[in-house]
Amino acid sequence: MDTIKAVFDYTLKEHLRHKAWLSAALFGVALLAGGLVASALGQEERGRLMLDLGLAANEALAMVSAVFLTVHLVLQEIESRAIFLILTHPVARWQYLLGRWLGTVAAVGLAMAGMGAAHLLALQAFGGAPLLPYLGVLGLAFAKTAVMAALALLLSLALTSEAAAMAFSGFFFVLGHFAPELRFLAEKSGSVPVRTVMVAFSHAAPDFSRLTPREAWSGGLPDPAWFALAFLYAAAYAAACLALSTQVFEQKEF
Amino acid sequence: MRPWHLAAAALAVAACASVAMERRRPWAGPSLSELEATPFAFRDAVLASGGLRAVAADLAWVQLLQYMAGNLPEIEDRPGRRHDRVLQLSRRVMRLDPHFHRAPLYGASILGWFEEVDRPDEAVELLDEAIRRAPEEPLFKLYLAAMAFKRAGDDARMVALLERSFDDPRAPSTMKAILANLYQRRGEPAKALETWERVLANPLDASEHARARLKIVELRAALRAGGRQPWKTQSWPTSRPSR
Repeated sequence: MDTIKAVFDYTLKEHLRHKAWLSAALFGVALLAGGLVASALGQEERGRLMLDLGLAANEALAMVSAVFLTVHLVLQEIESRAIFLILTHPVARWQYLLGRWLGTVAAVGLAMAGMGAAHLLALQAFGGAPLLPYLGVLGLAFAKTAVMAALALLLSLALTSEAAAMAFSGFFFVLGHFAPELRFLAEKSGSVPVRTVMVAFSHAAPDFSRLTPREAWSGGLPDPAWFALAFLYAAAYAAACLALSTQVFEQKEF
Repeated sequence: MRPWHLAAAALAVAACASVAMERRRPWAGPSLSELEATPFAFRDAVLASGGLRAVAADLAWVQLLQYMAGNLPEIEDRPGRRHDRVLQLSRRVMRLDPHFHRAPLYGASILGWFEEVDRPDEAVELLDEAIRRAPEEPLFKLYLAAMAFKRAGDDARMVALLERSFDDPRAPSTMKAILANLYQRRGEPAKALETWERVLANPLDASEHARARLKIVELRAALRAGGRQPWKTQSWPTSRPSR
C-alpha cells in the first residue's frame, strides 16, 4: 500500500506541475465563460444551455487531459530510461501501474472539481443547479474519465506508440457511445446468433452512454441504486483494463 | 491469480452491472438512424456519437430560433410556405434529446396558432411524437387537446386550456404571446392587456418583453380611446422581430 501511495504521490505532484494540465484547466474556465455568452442565444432555455455547455466542456477537457497524460505516462519513462531506476526499487509492476493511474486520475479529478465549482458559480446567475444531482452527474463524468484513462494506459502499453494509442483511444471513446446503437441494431436483426453476438459485444465493449452525465439527468435523475451500479461498472471496467495492462507490462523486458 | 484472470473476472462484473443498469433504466434515446435529415445531420451525428446529444440539441434549438428570426441561410422555405421547416427543425431537437420539451411545444405553437403558418396537422404530428417519446410531459397533451378544440371551432375552450398552462414555467413565451393575440382577436382588449402585462412581469419571458411593452402601450391607448374596436381586423404578429 505504501508503495502504491509513493508512486501515486509523485505522479500527482508531477501532473500538478504539468503545463498541459494547467492550460487545460484555464482553457476550461475560458470555455465556461464562452458558454455564458453562447447560452444567451438560447432565450428561455439559457439555464439549460449553460448547464449543458459547462458539463460538456468539463468532460471533454477531462477526457483529453486524461488520454494525453496517460498515454505519455509510462511510455515517456520507458523512453527516458527512468523506468529502470524505479523498477530497481521493490516495486511490483502492478503497483507501479496502479499508482501511476491513480495519480493521473486524481490530478484530472482535481481539475474537474475546479471546473465544476466554477461552473456551479456561473449557474447561480441562472437560478442555480441542484447540488446533489450535479455532483452525481459530475461523478459519472469522472468515472468515465477514469475508465478512459485505464483504457488509454492499456493501449499505450500494447501499441507502444503514443500516436496509435491516442487514435485508438478516440476510436474506443466513440465505440463506447455506440453501445445502445449496437443493441438497437441487434433488436432489428432477424438472426438469433447475430443478435446474441451483438448484444454480448455491446455489454463487453465500454458502454460510455451510461456514464454520460447529461443523458443520465434528462428525464429525471436515476435512483441511487442505478448510480451505484454505474460506479461499479466503471470500477470493474477500469480494473479489467489495469489488469490487462499489468499482463502486457509484465511481459516487457527492460 | 494471473492478471488476465483478474481482467476476465472484472469484465464479467462490468457486463453484469451493464445488464442490471439496462434493466433498471432502459436506454430511451432515439437511435442515430432516427435523426432528422437536415443540412446539419452530419454534425448532429458526430456530436451524438461523442456523447454530446444534449449539446447537439441545444445547438439545434438555437438554430430553430435563428430560423424563426430569418437568420438561418442554410434552410430555405418552399415558395408560398412561410416557416416551412418548423416541423423538421423542432423534430430535430426532439430526436436529439426527447426531454427537451420546450422545442416541440414551441414548434407546435408556431404550426398550430401562427396565422400565416396555420398547419395544425403538422402540429398534431409533432405533439403525437413528443407524447410518444416523453409521455411524462403534461403540456404536450394539453396543447394537443387545445389543438382539437381549435379544429372543432371551439375557441372558448381552447383559450381556457391554454390559459391553464400560462403560469407553467415550461410553457413557451411564444405561446403566451399567441394567447394575448387570441384575446385581442376575440375582441377582449382588457384581457389581452392583462396577458401582456403578465408576460412583462415574468423574467422567464424576457424574449417577449420588447413586444409586450409595445403591445401594452398600444392596447392602453386603444382602451383609453374606448368604443372603437379595431381588434378583429388587426394583423396578428406572425414571427419574431428579426434581429
